[in-house]
Amino acid sequence: MGRRTAEEAQVLLRRRLCDPNFIFSVFSDSPDSNYSKLKFIVSSSVTEACNNSMLLLGPRGCGKIAVLDLVLEDLLKEYPEMISVIKLNGLLHCDDNCAVKEIARQLCIEHELMFSKMASYDDNSQFMIAMLRECGLAHKTVVFILDEFDLFAQGKQRLLYSLLDAMQSVSSQAVVIGVSCRLDADQLLEKRVRSRFSHRKLLFLPPPKDDLQRLLKHILLLPTDSSLPHDYVTEFNSRISNILADKRFIEVTDKLSDSDSTFSNFLRFLFSAVSYIDLRSGFMTLDNFKSALSTIQRQPKLDCLKDCSILELYMMVCMKRLEVKEQGSYNFNSVMKEYKSIHDSFQTSDNYSRTVCIRAFEHLLDRQLIEFADRGHNQSIEFRSVKLLISSSELHQGLKSNRSCPVSYLGFGSSNSSKTNGILKDTKYVVVETKSVQHYED
Amino acid sequence: MPSIAGNRSSPMSIAGSDVSSPQKRRLRSNSALLDDLVSSIPSNPCSPLKNKSPRRCMADSPNRSQANVSFLDRVNNVTKMTKSPKKKLLDSFLDKPIWNPTDLEQLSAVKEALHVSTSPSMIVCREDEQKRIAEFCKQCLEQEKAGSLYICGCPGTGKSLSMENVKGSLAVWAKETGGQLPEILTISCPSLSSTSEIFNKILGKSQPQKKLNGRSTPLKQLQQLYSKKQQSPGMKMMLVIADELDYLITKDRVVLHDLFMLTTLPFSKVILIGIANAIDLADRFLPKLQSLNCKPMVVSFRAYSMEQIIIILKQRLMALPYAVFQPQALELNARKVAAASGDMRKALGICRGAIEMLETELRESACTSNLSAMVRVDHMAIALSRAYKSPIVDTIQSLPQHQQIILCSAVKLFRRGKKDTTIGELNKSYIDVCKSTLIPPVGIMELSCMCRVLGDQGILKLGQSRDDKLRRVTLQVDEADILFALQGIRFFRNCLQ
Repeated sequence: MGRRTAEEAQVLLRRRLCDPNFIFSVFSDSPDSNYSKLKFIVSSSVTEACNNSMLLLGPRGCGKIAVLDLVLEDLLKEYPEMISVIKLNGLLHCDDNCAVKEIARQLCIEHELMFSKMASYDDNSQFMIAMLRECGLAHKTVVFILDEFDLFAQGKQRLLYSLLDAMQSVSSQAVVIGVSCRLDADQLLEKRVRSRFSHRKLLFLPPPKDDLQRLLKHILLLPTDSSLPHDYVTEFNSRISNILADKRFIEVTDKLSDSDSTFSNFLRFLFSAVSYIDLRSGFMTLDNFKSALSTIQRQPKLDCLKDCSILELYMMVCMKRLEVKEQGSYNFNSVMKEYKSIHDSFQTSDNYSRTVCIRAFEHLLDRQLIEFADRGHNQSIEFRSVKLLISSSELHQGLKSNRSCPVSYLGFGSSNSSKTNGILKDTKYVVVETKSVQHYED
Repeated sequence: MPSIAGNRSSPMSIAGSDVSSPQKRRLRSNSALLDDLVSSIPSNPCSPLKNKSPRRCMADSPNRSQANVSFLDRVNNVTKMTKSPKKKLLDSFLDKPIWNPTDLEQLSAVKEALHVSTSPSMIVCREDEQKRIAEFCKQCLEQEKAGSLYICGCPGTGKSLSMENVKGSLAVWAKETGGQLPEILTISCPSLSSTSEIFNKILGKSQPQKKLNGRSTPLKQLQQLYSKKQQSPGMKMMLVIADELDYLITKDRVVLHDLFMLTTLPFSKVILIGIANAIDLADRFLPKLQSLNCKPMVVSFRAYSMEQIIIILKQRLMALPYAVFQPQALELNARKVAAASGDMRKALGICRGAIEMLETELRESACTSNLSAMVRVDHMAIALSRAYKSPIVDTIQSLPQHQQIILCSAVKLFRRGKKDTTIGELNKSYIDVCKSTLIPPVGIMELSCMCRVLGDQGILKLGQSRDDKLRRVTLQVDEADILFALQGIRFFRNCLQ
């Protein structure tokens, strides 16, 4: 019984996350939001029967097309017969011929006319102008949506010019909405086209932190009037509220938004977190969010390091030590020397022969954790200089996460070889660093 | 970017040097506007017809405050002695009642009057140019000679509008004098699918009944037609208007040449008028015509000046029975647009934007009683700043933290003189900046992802390369913009010192 309600709740949450209308309707009530501004402009063009043009700008994933769809849906409900929508995409229809053909096809579908594939560019553009005039006489507004607007601005911009020129006459009623992620999209236009394009721009920005909190509450709190049992819903909601107020959760969301703060990234994170719900308990925990974060912010080199063998790790640490000692370039022989010196000073139990080391070295090359620094193909592998392709913090984290890392590191990464604890224990997870020392003693 | 004139600039400072010249210009032009004004002004000592400087008018009437009088005199040409200056500013300039913005009918009428597609009943400020074009056409028609004319000017200066007017005036002239009205063919060059199709259209118009001869090209047929004397003398002159002529420029410039050469043939009947933006199109692309001594006459439409923009806006609003804008608001708009580009479409768009500002203000405040219902200077200033603002600063401020650090490290890198670098170098600089704040840097793959996102938005420019690390990176945004945007955060301020 519990499992089924948990599954139902999960399905409800996932469905919410995949519905852009639900998500962006949170922001549609304030009069200052982009939704209301866009709606005001388009609806005033429809009611006053005048032409208009505008640009929606903003980084990818900030909801431009989602808000536009929401606005158009609402307007189609308010004014059912007065709007017809034509959608073009710069990636698909960048050629003028292609674009005009697509416009003619969509107009034909809207008005239930026959579309001929054999029509030429001239025929299609005459048809478009005639349809605009007819729609103007019938008081019907045609809304053109140009997605990836900056791609339409390449070349001679004939399509843009003919569309905007048609809008300069009294007989047509059209709204041209360009959507682009380039902030300087209107600078790309030719001066003739720019003169005919009005200067209206709406900027869509990634949400600030308190908007994100509102959004989280709106999405994750289950509705009390659904088919789920009431006490489950209240328990679920109270746990969610506790998590949202937790400082560690705020750290997780900060880490997520520090690298990418757009809506689409955030929704992906939430979807992943919802999918990690443990169906036996049926409630969301902080760990769900943490594992979702690690699936989104993956580090492929770390995964690689996790699976390295001990000898390979050893060799990388030697190379790191050589780098710390300011030795700019090193090759396999110098690494072996360093290896031997560690072995001599600390009497480690791992002592492998040269041929085995060469094999490990080649593995590292294959995995692209190291690479050759020069281009000479004549020398053998032992003499060519190499360099490490991972940074010290990545190496450090990799060592921490490697399960069978038995060696402790000496003067690793920081300039304090004197402060080392030359402790060699057969332990799991031994990390010695000067500041934070975490020993897991056996 | 030109800076906006201050909102609260006193009218005294606006009434600057050229106090008398706008009045003179208005006197010279024959527009009906002036006639109306003159007839409606009651006689008073400061009548503009006397050409007295307004400064003397101020001395005549001690009641009025100096500032308002000089400004209003210069712009409005109407003075009434009885009203106090404060009321003067709020009232309309021609004593019209103030409009009611909540009345939808009035609102839509105003917006329609200011829309770009509404062609005004009278076209002002272009009388000279229209006269020259009309003279040229009439001359060609009377002498039955072919000729070519080239109209050039920035976008939004009224070229196509004037051509429409000239066409109408030619029809009137033909009816009055009994001369022949030419066939008029208007071609919009961007809509031609190939450049040589223009000849098809000319041929089709000149000989509609004849079927197209498939053996020779339309160009050759036209050349043949115009090289020999017509058997039937009833062939009419043809006026060909080619809009946006530079779309016909091909690499070998053949089409443009042939088009203009059509007018040089001995028995040609074509009067060609080309419209484009470039001033030197004729010199650069048609050098051969100079040698044949048949270069086209050039009429250039200069960009509108501030006074012209004000005249045109007022003329559009003249037809409405109520006053909508405060005169200072119109002046601010005209000044800014004239300084930027002189484009009339932009000025009209900004006026409509200011009306929308007023609408939103009225919607937000519940009581509409105390608010002045005219469009004020602050509405216009907001509309102007929206038109000329670039969204770059806002976007940089709302970027996630690591992307801001990337921009900061790019600025530091480019300060040393090089203007482009690779992603590998940028990574090193980025790691250095991160070390100074103890923020853990992200790995290079994440970094190149973020660089790609910034490149999508047009802030960086990324080159192509097989290896991710070797892709070249350049900054597309001004360094000053980045500094301005990030100045609020102390870390970036210190870092970018």
